[in-house]
Amino acid sequence: MYSNNYAYPVIFRVDPTAPEPLFAQLSAQVRTAASRGELAPGERLPAARDLAESLDINLHTVLHAYQDLRDEGLIELRRGRGAVVTPRAARDLEPLRDAVAELAALARSSGISPDTTLALVKEAFR
Amino acid sequence: MTVAPSGNRPRSAVSHRGSTTAWTLGAPAVVVLAAVAVALSWRSELPDPIATHWGLDGVDGFGPFGPNLAAHALIVAAFSLALWGLAFFAGRDSLTRRLCNSTAVGIAVLFSTVLVGNLSVQRGLTDATEAGDTGGVLIGAFVLATSLAVVAAWATPADPPLPATAPVPDDAPMLALHDDEHVAWVQQVGQGGTMIIVVSSATLVLVLELGLGARMWAFAALFAAVVGLLLVVMVRWTVTVDGEGLTLRSLLRHPRIRVPLDEVVAAEEVQVSPLREFGGWGLRTGRAGRTGVIVRKGPALQVHRTGGRVFVVTVDDAATGAALLNTLATRARQG
Repeated sequence: MYSNNYAYPVIFRVDPTAPEPLFAQLSAQVRTAASRGELAPGERLPAARDLAESLDINLHTVLHAYQDLRDEGLIELRRGRGAVVTPRAARDLEPLRDAVAELAALARSSGISPDTTLALVKEAFR
Repeated sequence: MTVAPSGNRPRSAVSHRGSTTAWTLGAPAVVVLAAVAVALSWRSELPDPIATHWGLDGVDGFGPFGPNLAAHALIVAAFSLALWGLAFFAGRDSLTRRLCNSTAVGIAVLFSTVLVGNLSVQRGLTDATEAGDTGGVLIGAFVLATSLAVVAAWATPADPPLPATAPVPDDAPMLALHDDEHVAWVQQVGQGGTMIIVVSSATLVLVLELGLGARMWAFAALFAAVVGLLLVVMVRWTVTVDGEGLTLRSLLRHPRIRVPLDEVVAAEEVQVSPLREFGGWGLRTGRAGRTGVIVRKGPALQVHRTGGRVFVVTVDDAATGAALLNTLATRARQG
């Protein structure tokens, strides 16, 4: 038997009037879907050409998004097999999400702006 | 929830009837009459009785010429009539007509070729027991029948465009969508585990019977290859809902099935039982002329299309696909 690794349980949506570039909107959706477990390792993303056609956007926009995802190690791009979600994409981000939610709540209750909070987070990574 | 197809009468009902009759009755009649004519022209050169069946050690069945000829013609006529009835009266959807036309042509070619082939090895014999092997006849007939069935499916006229005139009903499921958003829902059809098991085991039984029983290993292998290819094509489809409408592509990208956005009356999620409602799996025409790509039991996306057509595809997350299809159809109709 084969596993259920051919589903694409993602609805792709891009908004050309939004300030964020289209490729970034697209890659963000895959990232979110993967972190929520909606995209499991081994699952495939639609072929870039098909997705570009469906969304009525440039093929290079989709390729740009896929390449970014590959560089982050979330998908593998294989010739003939398309874009496959890696095990890494499905890492359990739940504890991190919880901590981030707690951080956001703390910042809000202390009256500290998101920008200041982000600056502090970035500093912590140095 | 059920969505009543309202305000879109089946207008396309008559336009296909000429071509449907030509493909399901005309073409098979020409093929089988040609075979009968060839058989009759050989009559004086054939043994009496003729060989009608071949077993492990050569010919093991005999029969008179006339009834054997009539039996072949009658089988083809029976299939043709049944398929003509289905396509003529329930063939609103070109998918139904493609299936009927290709099956009618395939069966006519198969039986006619077998008839002529089996007689050809008996020409000039006085004793039918001396008739040679006919394994090659069966292979040739199968290849020819399959090829011409594909040609008939390909040549069947598509449905003419029939844009909807009424808006998508208010009670149809919708999705919240920004006006400028470009959206695509992409899914694979559900897992056809049962379909694969049933079709593979049935094929295995037939192949073993052909191979071990009749020693026709070459034909058995060819048969298995064709069924295997069909299974691969029929069990893996990519389903897309986007600005074009609903599109299905098989693993080999062909055949492709599309319900254009402007022909969508309403879409919904339904529960499907393959055997009870469609009599099996694959590319099907079911009860009341509903067509579908049916690979498993359970939730499916059902689209009511103009002309009284209903298309069903067994796919996960069908509720999202249906809602998006309704939403995009509404948006397109608002211009």
